[in-house]
Formats: sequence, C-alpha cells, structure tokens
Amino acid sequence: MVVFALFIISKSGGLIYNREFHTGMSKLTSNDYLMLAGSFHGMHAITAQLSPIPPVRQPPPAATSPNLQTFPVRATGIEVLESSHFRIQCFQTQTGVKFLLFTEPQQPNVDTMMKKIYELYADYVMKNPFYTVEMPVRCEKFDRGLDGFVKVRG
Amino acid sequence: MVLYSFYIFDRHTECIYSRRWTPARPTSSSSKSAARPQSGASIASNGDVVAAVRKGMSHSDDEKLVFGLVFSLRNLVTKLGGADDTFLSYRTGEYKLHYYETPTRMKFVMLTDTKIINLRQYLHQIWANLYVEYVVKNPLAPVEHPGGIGVANELFERGLEAFITAVLPV
Repeated sequence: MVVFALFIISKSGGLIYNREFHTGMSKLTSNDYLMLAGSFHGMHAITAQLSPIPPVRQPPPAATSPNLQTFPVRATGIEVLESSHFRIQCFQTQTGVKFLLFTEPQQPNVDTMMKKIYELYADYVMKNPFYTVEMPVRCEKFDRGLDGFVKVRG
Repeated sequence: MVLYSFYIFDRHTECIYSRRWTPARPTSSSSKSAARPQSGASIASNGDVVAAVRKGMSHSDDEKLVFGLVFSLRNLVTKLGGADDTFLSYRTGEYKLHYYETPTRMKFVMLTDTKIINLRQYLHQIWANLYVEYVVKNPLAPVEHPGGIGVANELFERGLEAFITAVLPV
C-alpha cells in the first residue's frame, strides 16, 4: 500500500497544496506542479463535456427538503485515471475544489481515504480563521493530520 | 456492456477513423435541458460547462477534443511517472475512456460505460489483427491516411463489427 502524493487544486485551477508522502514519482519543480495542476483542471472540464450520455441524477434521500433538489445535475469529470505506474483518484467537492490522490495501481479503499482527507481539510483548513480561500494551504495541523493518517495506512 | 464510440488517430493528430454507437448528442442534451430548465443557466462556479453549451458541437469537434485530451493526459502521465509510464484509461461518473498507443504513435481510443475492465489489450488486438491486416497490408491503401482514406474499407468495418460482438467482454 503506497500513497505517493496529494494535490489540492482550487476552483480556479491553482495548486493550493501539494505534498509527497512517498518517493516514486518523478521529481519536478514547483513550477511544473503548478502547470500540471492547471492543465489537469482544464482536462477535467473537457472530460465532463465529452460525456456521451446525460448525467444520471442521484436518487434523492428519503427525507428531502425542497431546497435539496435545486442542485443541477452535472456530468462529473475524471474520477479515476490509471496509468501503468500509478493511479490518480480525483474528488471534486460541490464548491469545485479538487483533491488528487496519487496511489499505487492496486490501492484499495481510496474512496474512504479521500473522504477522511476531505474531513481533515474541512476541520483544519476551512475552520482555520487565518486561512484565506484560494490561497496556498499552510496549516500545520492539517499536515500533521495527513501524516498520521497516511503513515498509519501505509 | 455499452460501447459509446471508437476513434483511431494517426501520428499527425488527425482522426482517421471514428465510429459511434450513440445517437447524436444535440438531441440528448436538448431533451435533458428541457426536462430541467434551470440547468441551462450559465457556467458553473467550478468550471463545468453545462450541457446546453454543447449543442453546436459536431462530431469532428468531438474528435479534436478527444485527441487533445488524450494527448495532454499522456504527457501529464509521462511527466509524473517517468518516460516508461503509459496512460491506460480514465473513468468519470458517466463513461470510461480506454487508450492504446502503438509504437508508431497511432492512438486507439474507445469510450464505454464505467463498469468495464481495461480494454487496452483488446485495442491492441484491433490494431494487430484488424488494422494491420486489412489497412496496412492493403496494397491499394496509401501509406498515410489523410482524411481517413483507405481505413474504413469493407473488410476492416466487418472485422471490427465481428470483433466487437464476439471478442469484447460482455
């Protein structure tokens, strides 16, 4: 079980967090990472456009309040990208922030990991009063939380 | 298993063969936006362009988009994973794209539904058993295929049809 890295891309396509947990991916300069994040953002939008079928509406939860229904159903972009050496899991939040998790091709339970990372992000980044949105994430507690979580798993 | 479309690109970025099994998209997107009028409003905050924008797009636009996309994804993958890493496939909530590139830089792309295992080896078979046999070895076909000349011949079409019904995993 190897998790190589985590990227967080803001809703406008900027790389706001990048962290390597394990060596195995090519060493790139921070400029290259920014470029890759930006191009991934664009490709994600194109993959959503290319969808040959209309997006399926999720079945509404049992107790629905009327304002839950107002979200338009949109095609999702890339969710999983596979290559021969690794696998990229992409999770996009409702507000358009993208979490990219680079793992081994056979990594199980990436979904739950992603959920946990999103929780950490919500707890330690979004609730941090000194964090401004769309800016690079520099929160020590988030770093430590991630470390603890990924190390335990890895 | 559902197949949506299949494309072959040559090494000059041109789409030399395309085949689709879905109805043209404009009808599907218009029926969808008619059902939910609020979705046609504007570009969403996260950059996803709503389906209504796609109405004016033709098949050849789709081919160009697919080519640009797999080209960039391939570059992204080699940049991150090293020169010997190859891009295999990606999956969204609606479909899955399979990719195979020959040593001569021809690109085979297939769009299917999401529940299918990777089709790379099947795309390889299409290249080796159908494309090479019926297109490359055809004495009347040109060396390059600008505009798809010589690719969509009867044997290749029939072979592809048989391959899809007989060999692809259901």
